[in-house]
Amino acid sequence: MSDEIRGADRGDRGERGGRQQSRRPFFRRRKSCPFSGPHAPKIDYKDVKLLQRFVSERGKIVPSRISAVSTLKQRELAQAIKRARFLGLLPYSLR
Amino acid sequence: MPFYENVFIARQDVSSAQVETLTETFANLVAEHGGKVTKREYWGLRNLAYRIKKNRKGHYVLLNLDAPPAAVHELERNMRINEDVLRYLTVHVEALEEGPSAMMQARSRGEERERERSRRFDRDGRDGAPAEAEGGEA
Repeated sequence: MSDEIRGADRGDRGERGGRQQSRRPFFRRRKSCPFSGPHAPKIDYKDVKLLQRFVSERGKIVPSRISAVSTLKQRELAQAIKRARFLGLLPYSLR
Repeated sequence: MPFYENVFIARQDVSSAQVETLTETFANLVAEHGGKVTKREYWGLRNLAYRIKKNRKGHYVLLNLDAPPAAVHELERNMRINEDVLRYLTVHVEALEEGPSAMMQARSRGEERERERSRRFDRDGRDGAPAEAEGGEA
C-alpha cells in the first residue's frame, strides 16, 4: 500500500533509506558545480557574460545553495563579481 | 617580477586618440621604473552599468604588467592625479594571459556570428536550396 503513496521512484533516493514517507519530500536532482568539471570555464572579473549567469535580475549574487557552486568557487566568483561591479561592468543593483 | 593586471577607465569626452597617448605615457612610466607592459588592450567606449562621476560611458583599457611593486605604486599615483582617469583597478595575478582577454573574445565571437549570418544569407539567395550547415561549428 505504501508504494502507491510514494509513486514512481524519482532518481537516487538512497540516503533517505526505506522509511515510509507520508509527506512527499521536495526532491531536486543533485546539481554539479559548473566550475569543477574537467573543462570548466575560468572565473575572471572581465568575463561579464559568465558572471551575469550568477547574478539575479536585481543584480544580487545568487547564493551557492541555489546555483550549486562549490564553496571555494563561490568565494572566487563573489570576488570577481565585486571587482566587475567596481569597474562598472556589472550593476550594483537594478531597479 | 610580480604580474599585475591593471584596468582603467577614461572619461567619455576624451577622444580615443588621447586615450592612446594616455596609455603610451603610462607604459613609458612603467618602463622607466623597471617594469614592462606585456599586453595592452583597448576595449573601446563602453556603457557603464552606473554613472561614475557623472559619466555614462567610459574608455576601458587593460594593461598587463610585469613590474616591481614600486612601478605599480607610481603608476597608480599618476592615475590618481590624472583627471581623465575615472577609475582604475590593479590586481595581482599568478600568470598573465597572452591571448585576447574574455572581453575581446566575447566581442570577436559576436562579429564572427554577424559575418557567418550574412554569408549564409547571401548564399541562400544564390542557389535557392535550403542551406544545410556544412560542418557549422558552434
